[in-house]
Amino acid sequence: MNLKPVLVVARKELTDSSRDRRALYGVVLGVLIGPLLIGVMLSKIAGQEKAANEISIPVVGREYAPVLVNWLQQQPGVEIVAGPADPEASVRDRKTDFVLVVKKEFGEKFRDSRPAPVQLYSDSTQQTIRAKVRRLRSLLNRFSSETGGMRLIARGVSPSIASALKVDDVEVSNAQQRAATVFNIIPMFLLLAAFSTGMQIATDSTAGERERGSLEPLLLNPVPRWQLVAGKWLAAAGAAFVGMALTLVFTATVLTKLPLEDLGVRYHVGAAEILLLIAAVAPVALVAPALQIYLACFAKSFKEAQSYMGFLVLLVTIPGVLTSFYPLTDRPWLHPIPIVGQFAMSMDILGGKPPAMWGFIVAGLGSIALTGVFLGLATRMLTAEKIIFGR
Amino acid sequence: MIRAEDLRKTFGTGAAPVVAVDGVSFTAPDGMVTGLLGPNGAGKTTSLRMVYGLMKPDSGSIEIDGQNIVGNPLAAQRRLGVLPDMSGLYPRLTAREHIQYFGNLQGLSPAVLAARMQYLIDILDLKSVADRRVGGFSHGERTKVALARALVHDPQNIILDEPTNGLDVMSTRAVRDVIRHLKAEGRCVMFSSHVMQEVSALCDRIIVIARGRVVAEGTADELIAHTGKNTLEDAFVSLSGVVATEAAV
Repeated sequence: MNLKPVLVVARKELTDSSRDRRALYGVVLGVLIGPLLIGVMLSKIAGQEKAANEISIPVVGREYAPVLVNWLQQQPGVEIVAGPADPEASVRDRKTDFVLVVKKEFGEKFRDSRPAPVQLYSDSTQQTIRAKVRRLRSLLNRFSSETGGMRLIARGVSPSIASALKVDDVEVSNAQQRAATVFNIIPMFLLLAAFSTGMQIATDSTAGERERGSLEPLLLNPVPRWQLVAGKWLAAAGAAFVGMALTLVFTATVLTKLPLEDLGVRYHVGAAEILLLIAAVAPVALVAPALQIYLACFAKSFKEAQSYMGFLVLLVTIPGVLTSFYPLTDRPWLHPIPIVGQFAMSMDILGGKPPAMWGFIVAGLGSIALTGVFLGLATRMLTAEKIIFGR
Repeated sequence: MIRAEDLRKTFGTGAAPVVAVDGVSFTAPDGMVTGLLGPNGAGKTTSLRMVYGLMKPDSGSIEIDGQNIVGNPLAAQRRLGVLPDMSGLYPRLTAREHIQYFGNLQGLSPAVLAARMQYLIDILDLKSVADRRVGGFSHGERTKVALARALVHDPQNIILDEPTNGLDVMSTRAVRDVIRHLKAEGRCVMFSSHVMQEVSALCDRIIVIARGRVVAEGTADELIAHTGKNTLEDAFVSLSGVVATEAAV
């Protein structure tokens, strides 16, 4: 069988679409946006964590509690500054992140070994300051328990009597969790890249061909329809694969520039992980363009096809939604399901537990089968007189 | 040579199917220009689409150079050069790339393709625009590119569906010159039109189609004589009208 027409069509579609300046910008943006977003989010989290280690605490009424203020000042990275006149308004208007207010009766109650009142003003809707407030609260708790302990010792009682529980804080800090969720969106952006990069060729070479009226002349060449479809698919799949690989490489580059160790992140993305990830997500670069080509065959114009593609991209979010109530990691039987499987495999690889070789093969076969089905359906569409001549 | 025998094509099913082509037969011999003349909606384009294999007739047979092509359009398409009703181009490709793309799809060798490219660019006078993207081309230039692309594989049989529609005088002349040239080379040329002057100027034989049927066949003079009118246009109106009255009865 002569398969040269497949390559002829693929080459033409690639040349054609590479000259579409606007679509090209879209592709570049689509490839860059994921890695950039991931980079910004991770460095933001790292920044917050660092900021929490060095806090300056605005205190109102410090003269009432020299003991507490002195103790705080001795803690590493803590600076005490004068608080605003109206703490509540100041925090509400976001002029100050938080304010510690010492009540007038602090000194008297402290001396009498009764709970001495302080007030902590903060705005819990402000995500960015949570780490700082948490730090301050833990400092206050420590002061409280240390002082309480000393009071018990002064009365000849062991402080351990006052503690019914000894809580060992195995800290999985919030920053680490947030960093982990950021990592979870890496597979999503990889899948997104496959859909967004191949889309232009998939729609322009089918619905666009119909719209321009160039489909009829094309079908007049002595080439089997399935070869024309295969050529268009090959071009779109090639673009989708390159888009995915670029997204992955950019993401990995961004990650190496970030102080992930500071975040206590247990993920590691090195050359081996990149290759494994490419192998895991590559099948989507086969399925996505095939599905796009099939759907675009229904559309009479490029614009109409693009609106279908918008819905198709939502497929990418399915695993993300699924994983919020059903964990996808470490479940190999999910792997042959296109898109969900690729997401699950990526999560396993990023989590340091890559699937076995047969897992990759089974997942690949699932996607190849589905690709064949979609291309077959698209070929049938291009044989229907209603599609060829209907406008 | 193209032979069509008793072609039928119905669109739509159910209560009101439309019979677009209702028993059309014709022969277009080599070395002649055969014109398909008919009013809009008479079934010209549908008949031609069946001949070039993108539409399957409900019944009837089509032979191209003696080979039956119903159900086997790929065999016919090597021997056919077609300028369809819809001849869209790719705005981001150059004229040369269009010819090259179709030449490659026809399976031409690089040497043959290069020679054909040169020849077509010469006879269609595309030299000055050959390496420009067709997005900015005039209608005339676009038609020439579509024609060059249709002729790249040097086909024996050529089908042109209203090739001069909307063209200016210069471009119309260029297309007519090519048609005469192809005829002189002994090829079978079929073209459809509803423009009387065009048909009378170019065609050796005229097939008049109205309401999906062949209502008359012959040279321009024969048609005029047959209907007893003075001009081809009057003959044409009278021939189309005959069917209209028949249908009304």
